Amino acid sequence: MKIQPLGEFTDSAAFSLGVELELQLVSRRDFDLTRGATDLIGSLDYDGRFGEIKLEITESMIEISTLAQSTVDGIAADLGGLRDTLRHHCERNNIGVCGGGTHPFHHWPERRICPGDRFNDLYQRYGYLAKQFTVFGQHIHVGCTSADDAIWLTQALGVYVPAFIALSASSPFVDGVDSFYQSARLNAVSAFPLSGQCPPLNSWQEFTEHFATLQACGIAQGIKDLYWDVRPKPEFGTVELRVCDTPLTIEQATSLAALAQSLASWLLRTRPRLDTAKQAHVARYNKFQACRYGLEAMISDPLDLCQKPLKQTLAGLLESISEDAQALACERWLSPLKLAVAGNAGDADWLREREKEHGNLNDVVREASERLIGTDNENQEKTR
Amino acid sequence: MSFGPSSLGWISIEALAQARPIADAALGLLMMEVGRRLDLSWLRHNPELLRSTFADIALSFALIFAFALWLVGLTPAWAAATAAVTMASAPAVVLLTIEEARAQGQVTERIILHTAISSAASFVAFALVLGVVHAELSEDWLNAVVHPLWVVVGALLVGGIGSWLALNIAHILPKRSLAQVFVLVASALLAVGIARMLAVPVFLTLFLMGVLLASRDRLQTLRYTALPEGHWLLAIVLFVIVGASLPWQEFTWLAGLQALGLLLVRAVAKAGAVAWSGGSLPLGKRLLVGVGIQPLSATAVFMAYELASLYPEVGRSALTLPLFAAAMMELVGPALCRLALRRSGECESSDLARGGIT
Repeated sequence: MKIQPLGEFTDSAAFSLGVELELQLVSRRDFDLTRGATDLIGSLDYDGRFGEIKLEITESMIEISTLAQSTVDGIAADLGGLRDTLRHHCERNNIGVCGGGTHPFHHWPERRICPGDRFNDLYQRYGYLAKQFTVFGQHIHVGCTSADDAIWLTQALGVYVPAFIALSASSPFVDGVDSFYQSARLNAVSAFPLSGQCPPLNSWQEFTEHFATLQACGIAQGIKDLYWDVRPKPEFGTVELRVCDTPLTIEQATSLAALAQSLASWLLRTRPRLDTAKQAHVARYNKFQACRYGLEAMISDPLDLCQKPLKQTLAGLLESISEDAQALACERWLSPLKLAVAGNAGDADWLREREKEHGNLNDVVREASERLIGTDNENQEKTR
Repeated sequence: MSFGPSSLGWISIEALAQARPIADAALGLLMMEVGRRLDLSWLRHNPELLRSTFADIALSFALIFAFALWLVGLTPAWAAATAAVTMASAPAVVLLTIEEARAQGQVTERIILHTAISSAASFVAFALVLGVVHAELSEDWLNAVVHPLWVVVGALLVGGIGSWLALNIAHILPKRSLAQVFVLVASALLAVGIARMLAVPVFLTLFLMGVLLASRDRLQTLRYTALPEGHWLLAIVLFVIVGASLPWQEFTWLAGLQALGLLLVRAVAKAGAVAWSGGSLPLGKRLLVGVGIQPLSATAVFMAYELASLYPEVGRSALTLPLFAAAMMELVGPALCRLALRRSGECESSDLARGGIT
């Protein structure tokens, strides 16, 4: 086992942002997942001006990641540029690209692990789970000015994991059937032994000790082995939120980044009291509620010893962070989230509604693909 | 091949004649499937691919024509007929091999595209050659114009009726339902029957029906409806009938060497065209596409018989060259296609232990 040292925490600008989106590569013939990531990357003619386009674990996935940006508008521009670059190169290879947390009807044994030692190691270690890991998430990095702030923020954001799950939920279908979940993606993630919540750690010192124990016990080689819902990322100097499904549009992905940035700012400014030990008792249940019911979830509060409707607490939260959003110039990006909380259909509902309309999932993926690619054309010409 | 009338004789000429409708149905269904997969929008988005498919068509026709004319000594009309018949890849072999290997990826997709486009080009060449053969052998200019025109217009008409029927009936049925599969196959078989009745080539009719099915299906009515698994059984019958009908009694070593020469020239043309102009894929994978599009069989044999039947007294002997080439490729073609898919790492079972593409 090759141990990778944790390294120092690289301080970064407060509330700087980075977004990673895992996207589906689909056949334009029947809109099932197809294998094409390696050839697509091999044929890329792109200078990296909007960020990176890289392989993920299977040949049916591709990951785009923005550059570090200080504003949400910067993230929106990068995501638009990456999306249009990807569209151009996918068209050259006759491949479709699509958002959503799961592919609604793909057959996981048909997936192929991408070449590369890391991917091969994962396949050897986790076996079929690695292929079932063909699910698609959004990761949001928020910059922190110190390592201790990063650990505190990791714990503080843990409380809001159900909110991010519910607002991003876009994976109601698995194996061709309605799972009854709004986000079924996280069920695939939870099979991994190092998934779940970050343990109740209070400082960078405690975190490094905990990580050293995991390494000494042979459980983790490097920070990438921790599939926590929220985890510190020392090399970037960020806290990484990992629970979101990839939304169906980059606009929704940008809105979620705006929520993460404003919420982080509000949390670090107001420093609400954390009771991580008590939160740990309800965290898994609350996560299940959000995955299963989305915005209709009932969230358990271990401090007030009651259940509260997620919609109600989210409405209050969006109100609370609006001042920080204004200061960060990203308030307009929170509007779609407010509309969702007020009752607008989210991505999971949209997918179900389209399935009901068409009576098949091929057309659902076709329309979802058009939805990701067909909007926001302003950067298209720049990329060519 | 061994059991056919020209070898052991266990399958008689009469039995072959009786089985012809089955072969037509099998070939028709496969040609319709290839037609459905002709994705011209890909060419619009990838000009390099347009260049490579054009190079494949042009180089294959030109080199085979030159070989047949100058090295074998055929007349220009029959040399053109030989080139028209053998320039395309074999859709049945390619689709069967890909289906069997459950291959997916850029090499696979490009093999399908090259096969579909070269088939379309060979049908155009075939129609033109019909006129040329008439002009050379009968000097009947009316026939030289009307017959190719009838072949194209008739096939388009019958294919159009078949696709119109299939789309309109399937529209009122649930997508991907068994009922839609039934409608698709029934419409195809109807088109085969009408084509036979009107004496227009079945392979061309059903290919055009497939193209029309894909291009006119704006509501995605039949886009996701696949042929039933059992249609591959018909494909096997097709290969047996084609193999048994080959004129082995006319085989000479010289004819065999000439056929081998044709296959070598064709292989150089196809691999060279794709390697030289394929673009957007590494050279190794482009060469694998070149290997994957080598198969040649049923469609070529049917086209050759169609042409030979115009003037049987000269046509039969003039077209032994493509027939022997098709016979050789019926054995080697599937192996070459399978080799290309396996080496590209795009087969489902490739390198299971490691998981990655090598």
